[in-house]
Amino acid sequence: MTDVPFPAVADKGPGSEGVVSTWFVRDGDSVVAEQLLAEVQVDKVAVEVPAPAAGTVRLLVPEEAVVKLGEAIARIE
Amino acid sequence: MTVMETQSTDTAGTRRLTTAKAMVEGIAQEMERDPSVIYLGEDVGKYGGIFSSTAGLLDRFGEDRVLDTPISETAFMGLAIGAAVEGMRPIAELMFVDFFGVCMDQIYNHMAKIHYESGGAVKVPMVLTTAVGGGYSDAAQHSQCLWGTFAHLPGMKVVIPSTPHDAKGLIISAIRDDNPVVYMFHKGVMGLPWMAKNPRATDVVPEEPYEVPIGKARIAREGNDITVVSVSLSVHHALDVADRLAADGGIEAEVVDLRSLKPLDREAILTSVAKTGRLVVVDEDYLSYGLSGEVVATITDVDPGMLRAPVARVAVPDVPIPYARSLEYAVLPTRDRIEEAIHQVVKG
Amino acid sequence: MTATEAERALDASVRVELYRTMVLCRTFEDAILREYHADKKPAFDIGAGLVPGEMHLSSGQEPVAAGVCAHLTADDALTATHRPHHLAIAHGADLRKLAAEIFGREGGFGHGRGGHMHLFDPATHFSCSGIIAEGYPPALGQAFAFKRQGTDRIAVAVTGEGAANQGAFHESLNLAALWNLPVVFVVEDNDWGISVPRKASTATPSNSERAAGYGMPGERIEDNDVEAVYEAAARAVARARAGEGPSLIEVHTVRLLGHFEGDAQGYRDDMAGIESRDPIPRYEKALRDAGLLDDTEASRIREEARAKVEDAITFAKDSPEPDPATALSYVFA
Repeated sequence: MTDVPFPAVADKGPGSEGVVSTWFVRDGDSVVAEQLLAEVQVDKVAVEVPAPAAGTVRLLVPEEAVVKLGEAIARIE
Repeated sequence: MTVMETQSTDTAGTRRLTTAKAMVEGIAQEMERDPSVIYLGEDVGKYGGIFSSTAGLLDRFGEDRVLDTPISETAFMGLAIGAAVEGMRPIAELMFVDFFGVCMDQIYNHMAKIHYESGGAVKVPMVLTTAVGGGYSDAAQHSQCLWGTFAHLPGMKVVIPSTPHDAKGLIISAIRDDNPVVYMFHKGVMGLPWMAKNPRATDVVPEEPYEVPIGKARIAREGNDITVVSVSLSVHHALDVADRLAADGGIEAEVVDLRSLKPLDREAILTSVAKTGRLVVVDEDYLSYGLSGEVVATITDVDPGMLRAPVARVAVPDVPIPYARSLEYAVLPTRDRIEEAIHQVVKG
Repeated sequence: MTATEAERALDASVRVELYRTMVLCRTFEDAILREYHADKKPAFDIGAGLVPGEMHLSSGQEPVAAGVCAHLTADDALTATHRPHHLAIAHGADLRKLAAEIFGREGGFGHGRGGHMHLFDPATHFSCSGIIAEGYPPALGQAFAFKRQGTDRIAVAVTGEGAANQGAFHESLNLAALWNLPVVFVVEDNDWGISVPRKASTATPSNSERAAGYGMPGERIEDNDVEAVYEAAARAVARARAGEGPSLIEVHTVRLLGHFEGDAQGYRDDMAGIESRDPIPRYEKALRDAGLLDDTEASRIREEARAKVEDAITFAKDSPEPDPATALSYVFA
């Protein structure tokens, strides 16, 4: 099982908050490593989140919910 | 002949992309396949395009293939034309379609006419990509659609994808086409994280390269009661309204996504209206002298008797697009206006 | 021979060839002038006759075409203006297809669809356009493609002095220098932008000065001097071929006729004695004085030109008119 954290976004400090703007996969989808899981946004900067491993993905937060940097947004089982 | 495609189905694979990413993937696959494909424009390099039309391309293909230009639309549009004449397949981006004023000569008097004026001896196989559309308060000079203007002038094809699937397929077709193709992408369908959320902006997109035919409409939703012809973001709104009406009012609307204005799939329009007898056109371009009138003329040129009621045109009135949100949303072809038009036409 | 001509000592064959090219250009323009007006009498009707429409003849501007095109091959591109014939001819365009296109016939470059201002010859990468200054940007693109393809082919872009005040001119100079494109920009300064003299349109004394503002060398050739054009073009073309980037050459030339045929030129204050500014008799005299031309040779050259031109005119007149049913052909490939 691998957590997928909200990634560090260019020069945003550790206390920063952002949102998952788009999920590209659905809860329960099979994913491969590097597959595009989500696009997240902090202020004006958007960053893609690839899957760190293959497996079944569980989405832990909905789109637009506020999330802290480092917080797990998904889990690969 | 129209194309009925079920584009959002989980059985076709689960890999989902936004419209912007689908467009980029199409471009990248063609750039991979054909070294003469280059992309030039303002802020298309490191920035990845103001509306993410080229995100990641510079890293992948380098400065020789993805070129930031100075703010010189006449010069770089002309450069794309000359390069195309000499065998390359350039994609030149006009950052906002509203900027066409500063380079329209190169576009309509040169890009679009060289093939004809040369009696077919000289081809211009280039793509002109451009961002269109409003709804986010960018006001009169940065919110227009203007596809009617481009489609009106002879010699250039005009395509307008509304979905991620078509964004990829149409950019690939456009690049491969030996003619100049104007590819207009609405900012509101791109799925940009910094614009209002649009669920239809993300969908399943096949991973392999594929073409969507230029000149063929898509039936986005089948129905027997009324035909709603539209293009771009308005297709999404029409679908939302159609879903609502089917659930509440028992009206089954057929939504036709034109996808191409030049060539225009007149057959698709005629076939649908022959079936339903009722027509609403939803066009985010200006009302007069444009696409919506052309769609109506498509019917009346052939058989006005097909229509059981007058046509309703839901378009932007002939006014510069206002800045204030309340005013902007009074002129845009919103879901409420679409629904009202459908009711009006159904009542006859 | 003047001192400058003596200093130059261009090869005899080069000099005679320059003369031959200019004679061919002028012979063609004289023939078009004749044909154009033949059936527009008694009162000029621009839309009447075998060659209807606007006609912009290049008589007097031959030194530019001859001097520049001497350094080009058919693989080099050239974009020209509404006054294109001398450049098309000097660059090697097929005279028959040129004439037929001017006559709007099926055998023309564009099968009659382009006409005199919209000539496209892919065999010589020649094109022209009726929109002022807008021939510069596509030339950039041709140069870009040639460079990208790893060749030493170049693009020559020609406009008039009036065009140097249009945005496309300035954008093109900047972009060509910025991207180091193999372009030679040529400005034919014939003193008149239709009826407006240069001093009433242009803030600087010459456009060669403007070149420095865009990061490239610029030269101005006075006196419609074909050999000076030849030498300046040699430098500019060599620079471009060597990958050293664009240059600008402005040539002070002369428009012997009106802006267009039918132009009464009432605004023009330099018509008195204008024949003395005709570059061809002047160059002929220089070559005769240098012992490079005599009556026999000169008349042979003129006769050759006449024969070629009349053959082209005959071809044009014999070429069929395009079928109206094909009016929509060639919109798309």
